[in-house]
Amino acid sequence: MKTRTLLVIGLCVVGVLSLPARGEESGAADTQEKLKESLVYLEVSSYGYDPRMPWRHTDISQRSCYGCAVGEYEVLTTAWNVRDSGFVKVRKFGQNEFLRGEVKVVDYESNLCLIEIDPNEAQGAMKPVVFAPEYEKGAEVQCYWLSGDGRMESGRGFIDRAEVYKSTASFEKFVNYVVANVSQRTSLGQVYCLGAEAMGIACWTNDNKEAGLIPAETVNRFLEDVEKGGYQGFGAVGFVTTELIDPAMRSYLRMPQSVKNGVYVNEVYSLGTGSDVLKVSDVILSIDGLEIDSHGRFSHVEYKELSLEYLVTSKRAGEQIVFGVWREGERAEIPAKVKGTRAGEMLVPYYEYDRQPEYVVTGGFVFQKLTREYMQQWGEQWAGRVSPHLYHYYRDMAFKPSDERRDIVILSYVLPAEINLGYQDMGQAVVAKFNGVTVRSIADVSAAQKANPDSKYDVVELEMDNPKVVIPREQLAGADAMIARNYGIGKLANVAAED
Amino acid sequence: MNDVKRVLFSAVVVLVVSVGLVFGGEVKGGGYDESVVMIRSVKQDYDYVTPWKQTAMSQGVGTGFVIDGKRILTNAHNVSNYRYIELKKVGVAKRYPARVAFVGHDCDLAVISPDDASFFEGTVALEFAGLPEVNTTVSTYGFPLGGTDISVTEGVVSRIQMDSYSHSGADSHLVIQTDAAINPGNSGGPVMQGGKVVGVAFQGLRQADNIGYLIPTTVIEHFLKDVEDGTYDGFGSMGVMLYPGLHSASYKDYLKVPEEEDGVVVIETMMHSSVEELLRPGDVITRIDDYDVDNDGMVEIYGLNLHLSEVVEGKQIGEKVGVTIYREGEKKEVMATVALNRPVLEYSREYDKSPRYVCFAGLVFTPVTRNYLETWGSDWITDIPFSLRYLFTNSMQLNTDRERKEYVVLSEVLADEVNAYSGGFKSGVVESVNGVEIWSLGDLNKAFKERGDEFYVLKFMGDTRALSIDAKKARGRQQVILQNYGVPAGARLEEQL
Repeated sequence: MKTRTLLVIGLCVVGVLSLPARGEESGAADTQEKLKESLVYLEVSSYGYDPRMPWRHTDISQRSCYGCAVGEYEVLTTAWNVRDSGFVKVRKFGQNEFLRGEVKVVDYESNLCLIEIDPNEAQGAMKPVVFAPEYEKGAEVQCYWLSGDGRMESGRGFIDRAEVYKSTASFEKFVNYVVANVSQRTSLGQVYCLGAEAMGIACWTNDNKEAGLIPAETVNRFLEDVEKGGYQGFGAVGFVTTELIDPAMRSYLRMPQSVKNGVYVNEVYSLGTGSDVLKVSDVILSIDGLEIDSHGRFSHVEYKELSLEYLVTSKRAGEQIVFGVWREGERAEIPAKVKGTRAGEMLVPYYEYDRQPEYVVTGGFVFQKLTREYMQQWGEQWAGRVSPHLYHYYRDMAFKPSDERRDIVILSYVLPAEINLGYQDMGQAVVAKFNGVTVRSIADVSAAQKANPDSKYDVVELEMDNPKVVIPREQLAGADAMIARNYGIGKLANVAAED
Repeated sequence: MNDVKRVLFSAVVVLVVSVGLVFGGEVKGGGYDESVVMIRSVKQDYDYVTPWKQTAMSQGVGTGFVIDGKRILTNAHNVSNYRYIELKKVGVAKRYPARVAFVGHDCDLAVISPDDASFFEGTVALEFAGLPEVNTTVSTYGFPLGGTDISVTEGVVSRIQMDSYSHSGADSHLVIQTDAAINPGNSGGPVMQGGKVVGVAFQGLRQADNIGYLIPTTVIEHFLKDVEDGTYDGFGSMGVMLYPGLHSASYKDYLKVPEEEDGVVVIETMMHSSVEELLRPGDVITRIDDYDVDNDGMVEIYGLNLHLSEVVEGKQIGEKVGVTIYREGEKKEVMATVALNRPVLEYSREYDKSPRYVCFAGLVFTPVTRNYLETWGSDWITDIPFSLRYLFTNSMQLNTDRERKEYVVLSEVLADEVNAYSGGFKSGVVESVNGVEIWSLGDLNKAFKERGDEFYVLKFMGDTRALSIDAKKARGRQQVILQNYGVPAGARLEEQL
């Protein structure tokens, strides 16, 4: 009730709001003062790779963002802030010089990153911020950060709700606190406090004056796990559900009238939690004893209605989870192990931050691993523009790699040279076989180049009615050297070692 | 990045080549007043989402001309989906109602006949010439925008090549390009040289100035010969996908083609095509009839360098074409039959046919056609749902069912208690009903007639969910739904012309 009253006042009488706010001002000033020893300004030089020319870096760009101390020489920020970082510079309050930051652990799924500073260069220890798992719907919160020009900045807003959101940097969904009516746009690691307690860091913002926070519970679990060493990350959801409100569908699944809850499993991945135990057409009735409703939500003690993804992604990889399901006309309790999903394991990776894309250039034919970042070259509407055959592997198969197929390898395009006359317009085609060997990953291309040693040619077979590509081996060495020189390719292949 | 841009650009260009146009400095009179006629038509298209309905009517003006046999030749797009046509002679006030005798939507040509044969009194039939020389002058006659009198514009033949015909959106034939700008109303008008017709004005390029296109007499003669037997069959093809890859000496050697031979590589034959048993991937076509094929797939024909499909274009459906191939190093001669050879998901727009549908439980199903996809608007190719885009682009590769006649889509949901949870499945392509695969609208209609199961469980392509419909309830609600929404029948399985 208290929450509702506050909201109504907030809408009608803006002037009145300043009264309680003023009352807290001294508290906020104190908090800001204390945080001087904890907040840092970060400048990240981003230096990724060009997905079109994976042998080449993109232009360097600078990113301004924010962090806070979580150890004497350790800084917490979002993973999104440090993606593709070439160099991280850290500046403390009251200092002119930048310190070199070293990314110690980055987890794009939970969107958190821990940066270390060399104690010998740090000119004194920082004061760690302690994150307290506080959630009070409707409460006013303050946010703080150290700006690029060395000032302590602040803003405020109100805790509106807790909701499950897709991580800014990744495919996984985590709980975020949503702060409404924010006075400043915050999404870059600013620290939000409820009174004197830090309660989360900012990770997204939108045009409705809202900001998303990675809450203390996620931050603390991340920090604990990093501390323990051998960081494993959080659980990932290994299945897709769809609401089950249609009585005809419930009746088709032979669910008794008395069972009103449960959500339909319409897809099971080969990665992530539940992928090894759930089946399509299961109905998830509960997770760890918490009842799941027909929209796929459960009731959280503090956050109230929340999407079921939370029950997986708030756990550590390796922990236990129990699915209560309706399967083939009966109830069943199915225990499973919580599993994480790394982007690199996906058939079509969601992202490839911090690493050079895999490729092989031979005879001017550019073979690459298909990734979401690769397809994003087609602009904002890439999903509607990229070749549908390529997109289908991402849309329908991204989380379903198998032993037969770990990556999708494509002939991206052809660098014109005499050796590839007749093929120069080809591209965007999926490689099926190289010298008769089924291609399951880029590494297979490298290996297959050594197959059939007596053959005059390398022969590439492509999916979907494409010609066979025939490359004369005799001319290859000379042509490759010429192509590398002509097109400025330092390294003709980048093949990752087996995971 | 260049490659990417080009791909996107080419997709755009195909869509931009558009409706009939011609305009220019108008010259009064011209000597063909007895032959050139104005065509006014009233059209009404079908609604492809709720196919028992028709859209609002529209009116248009085009041009036609008298040819032998008391016939008037014009563009198909002037008279497609017509409800009423009237003709007007130059300088004569009287209007003559007319009807379409033959229409070829694939070549954008139509023959129309006035109901009153006295129309032809005082008219002069025009004769046809062959292909004009490039860089010679031609005159276009017609009734373009900006006036009601006949207009004459002059232009130069810029080039002659194969290009797409925008009326159907997917067919390609020989075209003559001229620098006479073409405007709406000119369509169907004769283009003259030396007193004879060398083409029919039919389309322009929207993005460019002064690029107009004519249908050459090779195409016109094919059309007129085709209709001699009283029906129009259309242009055929060989039903084969070719790739000009023999510029690669290695590919040529790998396919065991002698060094001195040129040709194009067969990548795949279309399912059910007339060459399915004759040709196979890896064959190399070096000669077609008496024409040598070069490494670009071009032949020397009519004194021009044109794609080998021009040899097939000259033939009627059912005629033979001689094909010389190399297979595994061996030279072979095969005789291929020219046939329609259309893909399972037709790329061309259809006209003059009331679309088929099945309406059951308030769920409206219709075949996936280009017309249906174009209901998404001008950016339909990027805006349509993924499964439809994938099928439209790759149906020939994706379809492995020899029994399949078409793809069937849930085009609309007529809201009712029996389908209250079906909204999320709209625009889905039906894969199966109760585990039985759906290969045609007829299959679907049959599936809904099955009374064995308590539920109809529908699966859609590229969708892991299932839609379950209570069978008994659906049958009970059928008449009520049809009545509520004014649907004339539960199904229309035959096209009505």
